[in-house]
Amino acid sequence: MKLRAERTEFADAVSWATRTVGARVTLPALSGVLLEAVDGRLTCQATDLEVAAEISIPVEIDEPGRVLLPGRLLAQLVARFPNAPVNLEGDADRVEITCGRATFHVRGMQVEDFPTLAAPTEDAAQGVLKADAFARLVSQVARAASTDDGRPVLTGVQLDASDGMLTAAATDSYRLAVRSVAFDQAVDGVALVPARSLQEAAKAAGEVGGNVTVVLEEGQVSFLFGDRRLTTKLIEGSFPNYRALLPDAHETTVVVDRAGLSEALQRVAIVAMGQANTPVTLHFGDGSVDLQATNQEMGDAAEALPAEIDGEGLSISFNPAFLLAGLDATGTEQIRIELRDGLKPAVLKPEADGDDERIDDLTYLLMPMRVS
Amino acid sequence: MQPRHPEPILHVDMDAFYASVEQRDDPELKGQPVVVGGAGGRGVVAAASYEARRFGIHSAMPMVRARRLCPGLVIVANRFDRYREVSRQVMAILADIPPLVEPLSLDEAFLDVGGAVRLFGEPPEIGELIRTRVREEVELPCSVGVGPTKSVAKLLSDRAKPDGLVHWPAGEVVARLRPLPVSDLWGAGPRTVERLESFGFRTVGQLADAELRTLQRVVGEALGGQLHQLARGIDPRRVTPSEPARSISGERTFDHDVDDPAELERQVLKLSETVGRRLRASGVAGRTITLKVRFDTFETVTRSSTLPAPTDRTRDVATIALDLLAGLRLERARVRLLGVGVSNLGEGDGARQLTLDTAAEEGPSPAVAARLADPRWERVERIADSVAERFQGVGVSYAALLDDQDDPAEVAPRREDRGAHDHTSTSDQREEPDP
Repeated sequence: MKLRAERTEFADAVSWATRTVGARVTLPALSGVLLEAVDGRLTCQATDLEVAAEISIPVEIDEPGRVLLPGRLLAQLVARFPNAPVNLEGDADRVEITCGRATFHVRGMQVEDFPTLAAPTEDAAQGVLKADAFARLVSQVARAASTDDGRPVLTGVQLDASDGMLTAAATDSYRLAVRSVAFDQAVDGVALVPARSLQEAAKAAGEVGGNVTVVLEEGQVSFLFGDRRLTTKLIEGSFPNYRALLPDAHETTVVVDRAGLSEALQRVAIVAMGQANTPVTLHFGDGSVDLQATNQEMGDAAEALPAEIDGEGLSISFNPAFLLAGLDATGTEQIRIELRDGLKPAVLKPEADGDDERIDDLTYLLMPMRVS
Repeated sequence: MQPRHPEPILHVDMDAFYASVEQRDDPELKGQPVVVGGAGGRGVVAAASYEARRFGIHSAMPMVRARRLCPGLVIVANRFDRYREVSRQVMAILADIPPLVEPLSLDEAFLDVGGAVRLFGEPPEIGELIRTRVREEVELPCSVGVGPTKSVAKLLSDRAKPDGLVHWPAGEVVARLRPLPVSDLWGAGPRTVERLESFGFRTVGQLADAELRTLQRVVGEALGGQLHQLARGIDPRRVTPSEPARSISGERTFDHDVDDPAELERQVLKLSETVGRRLRASGVAGRTITLKVRFDTFETVTRSSTLPAPTDRTRDVATIALDLLAGLRLERARVRLLGVGVSNLGEGDGARQLTLDTAAEEGPSPAVAARLADPRWERVERIADSVAERFQGVGVSYAALLDDQDDPAEVAPRREDRGAHDHTSTSDQREEPDP
C-alpha cells in the first residue's frame, strides 16, 4: 500500500473511525483500525462488535492495499501531526507514516482477524431526516433506557418508522420516554437499538450536521452521514408494548414553570440524595406545587412554587433523579403534568407557550414511589 | 458533661444458652451431659451443656461425633420459640439498667453502662446486678465481661465462663492482653490465626509490637489494621442499640443428600418463603439475593444477583434464587445444604419505586426480571403472612410445598449477620438438622 492523504481529512477520518475503540478490548483486532485504499479512496473502519464506524475520504493512491493498525496509537499520532500531507507506505506487517519531517513505523496487525460488520446492502430501505432533529430525539428518549443488563430489551431504544414518522421509545420500567419526528424521506420498519450505540449515533449526528440516513435491515441498523457510517447490531427480543402503558385519561392537569420546578426540585432533593430511594413528595393544590423531602438522618426540606392546577389536588412522590431527567427532556419553558392519583403514572409533556410555538411530541411517563 | 467512664462496656453472654434452658425446664437433665440439636444422621450440636463440654463436645460438632465422644449423651430437640421467649426475658432485664444495649444474638448483648454509673454503681457492680437478676428471674447462668472496649469485654466474658464475671481496669488492659494467644482477639478466626502463627505471631503482644505494614501484608489491609489496634487495646466500635440486620437468610442441611432437581427447587422455594416472610416481618427489603449450595464434598458455592430495587416479596426472592440454582447446572450433583439469603437491606415499608408493567410483551423464558413485576403478588403475600400469623402452623403457601411433611419452623433462621467481625455465635444456630 502506498498513498498520500490530506492531513486534516486523514486525522478526522481516524478519529471518527476509532470512536468505538475502547481502552480495553476483548479481541486484539478490536483495538485496530482497518485502512483500505482502493479506487482513489481510503476507507477507515473500526468496531467493538456491537457498533462499527466507517468513513471514506479521497486520497492519492499509488498502490492499493489493506492494513490493520492500532487505533488509539494512530489517533494520537495523527492528532499531533504538523500541517503537511500524510504519506503511508508499507505492507500488512509494517507501515511507514511520514508527515512533514516526522517519520513513524507502525507494526500492522493481522488483517484477517478484523471482524467486519456487514455494510448495508444497496437496496435496503432508507429513511432520511435532519441530523439535529435526530440528535435531539435521541437525547430526549434514550435517557429512559435501562442500564441494567439483567433485562437486555430495556437497555435499548425502540425505533419505529411508519407513516412518515420516526418514533423512539425507551423505558427502564420506572419511566418511559416516547417521541416522534417527521422523516424528510420516509421508511417503514422497526429496530431495537442499544441505547449506547444510538447515543453514539446522535453524537455523530451532532458533530456532522446535515442529514442522517437511517437504513433498517434484518439484525442491524445503519446511520449514514455522507461518507460516514455507523452500523449497530440490534437487541434481540421484543420491546414492551409501550403504547398500552400510556394512560388514556387523567384527573388533574398541572402547568408549571419548568426551570422553577427543576431548581426547586434540585434544592429539595439535596436532602433526599445520598440515601438511595428517598422520594420527593409533590403536593399539587390551591395554585401551587409544594415540594417536600425527608431524610431521617439528615433532616427535611420544603419549597413551594406557583402552578396552574386544573382538577383535584393530590400528592405524589417521585425519585427526584427520574423526575429531573423528565423535566430536562421536555425542554419548553412551561411543562404540563397529567396526573390520575398518587400511585398511578404521571405524564410530563412540553407545554406550548402561545399558539405558534412548535413543541416536541414528547411524552415522559414516570411511575411514582409509594410512600407509607 | 460527665467524663467518660474508663471501662463502661459490658458483654453479657448466657452460658450454654439452649442447653441451659433445657436443663432448667426439665430438672432431670440437670447435671447431665446435654446437647441441643437434631439426632438424625446429619444432626449438628447447636449447644452443649458444660457437663457435655467436659467430653470435648462443642457446638457445630456433628452429632455422630458427639455421641461417640460421650455414649451417655442426652440429645434434646431444639425449641427455638422457647429460646426466643427466654431471650426476650433476658433482654428485658438488660434494658432495665443502662441506656445502651446492643443485642448480638439470642443469648448475648453488649451494654454501655457509662451513663448508669451514678444510679447503679461501677460497671462491675452493674455486671453482678445483671447476673443476680438473670439468675433469680430467669433461673439461668450467664457470664459478664467488663472492660474499656467491646472486644475486651467480649474476651473477658469468655474467660468468666461458666457463671462468672471478669473485669479488667482500663490501665491494665494492654499489659494483660500481651501474653494471650492471638486467637483470643476478636476477628482472628482459625484461618487468620494459622496464617499469623506461620509468620511467628503467637501472642497478642507480638502483634502489638509488629509493624502495621508487616501485619497488613500477612493478613490483608483491613484485618491487619484492625488486629493491630485490637492488640493495643484500641477498639473504636461503639455500642449501637439495635443495629439493623445486614442480611436475612435461611438455610437447611438435608438429612440425606439431595440430587433430585425438582426437590431442590422445592427447597429453594421453601427457603425463599421463610426469608420473604421474615423480611416482611422485620419491615426491611433487600436488593441482593444469594443462593448457597454445599455439596456432599463440602465444597460450597454461593451465587448472588442484585435487583435494581429492593424487594421483600417471596416471589421475587424465589424467582431469583431458582434462577441462580438453574444457573449452577447441577446435573444431579449431590447437595448437602441449601441456603437463600437477602442482603443489601433497606427499609422495606418505606418508599418504594413503583414499576410499569413492561413484562407484557416478553416471551416466557429469557427475562427473569420480567416475572418480578406483577404487583398482585405483594397483596397475595401480605395476606398469606397474616393468615400464617393468625392460624399458627396452618398458613397459605405455594402449591408445590403443600405435600411437604416438614415443619416449616425447621428452616434455620440466620438473623443479623453482622459482617466479618462477628464470629460470636457459638451457640447460635447455624445448621438445622431434622428432628
